[in-house]
Amino acid sequence: MDFFFQQLVNGITLGGVYALVALGYTMVYGIIQLINFAHGEIFAAGGYMGVILISWLFAQGYPPFLCLGVALLLAMGYCALLAMALEKLAYKPLRQSSRLSVLLSALGMSIFLQNGLMLTQGVYDRAYPGEMVQGGFEVGTVMISYMQIIIVAVTVLLLVALNLLVFKTRIGKAMRATAQDKTMSGLVGINSGRIISITFAIGAALAAAAGIMVGLYYGSVRYDMGFVPGIKAFSAAVLGGIGNITGAMLGGLIIGMIEVFAAGYISSEYKDVFAFIILIAVLYFMPTGIMGENVDDTRV
Amino acid sequence: MKRALYLLSVLLLASFVVAGCGKKDEKKAEASKAGITIGSLGPLTGQYAADGNDIKNGVLAAIEVMNPEMGAQGPVNLQAEDDACDPRQAVAAANKLINEKATAVIGAYCSSATIPASEPLIAAKIFMITPASTNEKVTERGMPYMFRTCGRDDDQSKAAVKFMTDQLKSKTIYIVDDKTTYSQGLADNIEKLAASSGLKVLGHEHVNQGDKDYSAVLTKVKAAKPDVFYVSLQNSASAAPMLIQIGRMGIKSKILAQDAVYHPQLIELAKKDAEGVFLTFGYTDKTTPAYQKFADAYKKYGEPGAYSAYAYDSTIAYLKAVKAAGSTDPEKVKAEMMKLDFDGASKHMKYRENGDSGSNYVIQVIKDGKFTNYWNPENGELFK
Repeated sequence: MDFFFQQLVNGITLGGVYALVALGYTMVYGIIQLINFAHGEIFAAGGYMGVILISWLFAQGYPPFLCLGVALLLAMGYCALLAMALEKLAYKPLRQSSRLSVLLSALGMSIFLQNGLMLTQGVYDRAYPGEMVQGGFEVGTVMISYMQIIIVAVTVLLLVALNLLVFKTRIGKAMRATAQDKTMSGLVGINSGRIISITFAIGAALAAAAGIMVGLYYGSVRYDMGFVPGIKAFSAAVLGGIGNITGAMLGGLIIGMIEVFAAGYISSEYKDVFAFIILIAVLYFMPTGIMGENVDDTRV
Repeated sequence: MKRALYLLSVLLLASFVVAGCGKKDEKKAEASKAGITIGSLGPLTGQYAADGNDIKNGVLAAIEVMNPEMGAQGPVNLQAEDDACDPRQAVAAANKLINEKATAVIGAYCSSATIPASEPLIAAKIFMITPASTNEKVTERGMPYMFRTCGRDDDQSKAAVKFMTDQLKSKTIYIVDDKTTYSQGLADNIEKLAASSGLKVLGHEHVNQGDKDYSAVLTKVKAAKPDVFYVSLQNSASAAPMLIQIGRMGIKSKILAQDAVYHPQLIELAKKDAEGVFLTFGYTDKTTPAYQKFADAYKKYGEPGAYSAYAYDSTIAYLKAVKAAGSTDPEKVKAEMMKLDFDGASKHMKYRENGDSGSNYVIQVIKDGKFTNYWNPENGELFK
C-alpha cells in the first residue's frame, strides 16, 4: 500500500507539470485552432531562463525562496513576451491562409527555437544550483520531498489563478467570446488580435513556470528538454478534450498517473505505451476527449 | 507604436541566434582538401551531444599535435559528422564520409551506431577506430579495419562483479538499464555473471532512453533494499537525475555505475548526490607525460570528457601508422597499426589481432567532487 501512495505522490507531481504545459496547447487551439508545436520550446526557454536567473540570484546570496519567486515571475514574463513575438511574426501574417501553412510555420518555429537554444546555450546540460531546496519528510514509508510540495503548490496556485482569469474577468470573458466566434466578438467591439496575443502569453507563462519546476526537480535543463514533455502535454490536452481548460488539467494528471503506475506495477519500459493506449482508447469511445462535450461556455 | 512592437518581436526571437553567431565555429576553413582527411562520427546533436563533442574535440586536439609531424603527407583535415546516436543517421554519415574520401573515421559513441556505420566504412576499406563503443560485438565480427581504443563490456562486467563480491561483500543486487545495445548488453552481462558468482539479482528493470523521471523504478528499488544498485545508463546526463532522485528517495544501497556515466558533467549536475558513487572505468594515469601533452592540447575545449583522451589516442595511433607506412594505403597502414606500441594519454596503445586494445577497468569512486581511483580488480587492492 505504501508503494501505491508513493507512486501516487510521484504521479501528482508529474501530472501537475504536464497539466501546466497542456494548458498552453489547449488555450491556443481553442482560440485559433492551431496546434502550437513551438510550445514545448517555450517550456524549455522558461527552464533556461530559470537556470540563468536562479544561478545569478543565488550567487548574490539571496534566500532560495526569493530567488525562486523572482526567477519564476521574470521567466514567465519573458516567455509571455516571447510567445507574443512568435505569434506576431510567425502566425499572425498567416491568419488568412490555410491551416496547414500555420501548422508548418509552428513546426518551423519549434525547430528554430530548439536550435537557437542549442547554439546560444550549448549542447551540455545546465545545472540548477543544487542547494536550493533540499530534503523532505516521510509519512510512514512514503517519501515526500519539499520540491514535490513546491511543484504541486505552484501548479495549484497557477491553475486557480487561470480559472479566475478565464471565468471571472472581462479579459476571460473576451477570450471565451473570441474562441466561440471571432467575427461576432469583433463586431461587438472585442479586439480579437489582442485577445489572441494574450492567450499565447498566458499559455507561455504557464509553460515557463513548468519549465523552471522541471529543471529544479531533475536538477538540470537541456536545449531539447521541451520535446518529450511537449508531446505528452499535447496528448494530455487531446485526452482532456482539446480546447477545454478543465480537460487539459485533468488530462495532464491522468497521463502523469498512468505513466507512474504503469512504470510501478508493470514495467518502466511500457509506461509510454500505456499512456498512449489509454489515450487511443479514450478517443475511440469519446472522440472529443473526456471533457470535450460542453464546448459552449468552458471553452477558451 | 506598431513598428516598435514588431521590432521588439524581432529582437526577442533574435535573442535565440545572436549569441550563437558570436561564437566562431571551430571547423577549420576547408580551403585545401589536400593531405589526409579524418572523419569523426558521434552524436553532435540530441541527448548525447556532449559525448559526441568530446570525441570530436579529442580528434581535433590530436590533429593539432600531429600536424607539424606529418610533413609532406599533411595537412590533416577533420570532417566531423553527426550520427545523433541513431543507427540510420550513422549509416548516412558513414556514406557521406566515404564520399568525402576520408581514410579513417574516429567514432562512434553509441555501440548501436558504431556497428551499423562500420559496415559501409569497412567495405570501403576505411579504418574505423572507436574510442567509446564497448559492446563486445564491435570487434567480434572479423572486420579487418575495425579497431577499438576503449575496453570491452565483458571485461567491464567481470571487474564490476568482482568488486561487488570481493570488496563490497554484497549479497543482493538490483539492476537498471536504458535499453541501448551498450547499456543493456552490459547489464545482461552483469546479471549472468552475478548469478554465477552467488550474487542474488533482486530485479532487472529497463527505463527508456532519455527519461528524466525514475521515481517509479526507484520506488521499487527502495522497497527491494539491495546491497548494490547497478546503474547502466547511456550517459552522464541521464545518470545525473537518477542520482539526484536516489538521494531524494533516501535509497541506502551502494551505487555502482559504468564507463558511460563517467563525465565531469555528472558531478556538476548531481553535486552532492554523486558523492560515494562507484563506477568502472579504464585506468588512466594522469601524471604521465603523454597525458600532460593531451591535457595541454585539449585545454581550449574545456575539461576532457569520458572519451576525449581515447579519441585523441585513436587519432594519434592512426596518424602514426600513416606516417610509418608513408601512405594512406589501407593494407600498408593496417600492417603499421598492428606494430604500434606506445604510451598514449589514456592507456598503453597496442592493438591486437581483432582490433581490441585490451581492457584495464578499475573501480573509481566520486569523492569530494572528483573521480578517484578506488579499487584494482587485478590484485584486489585499494588504490593509495
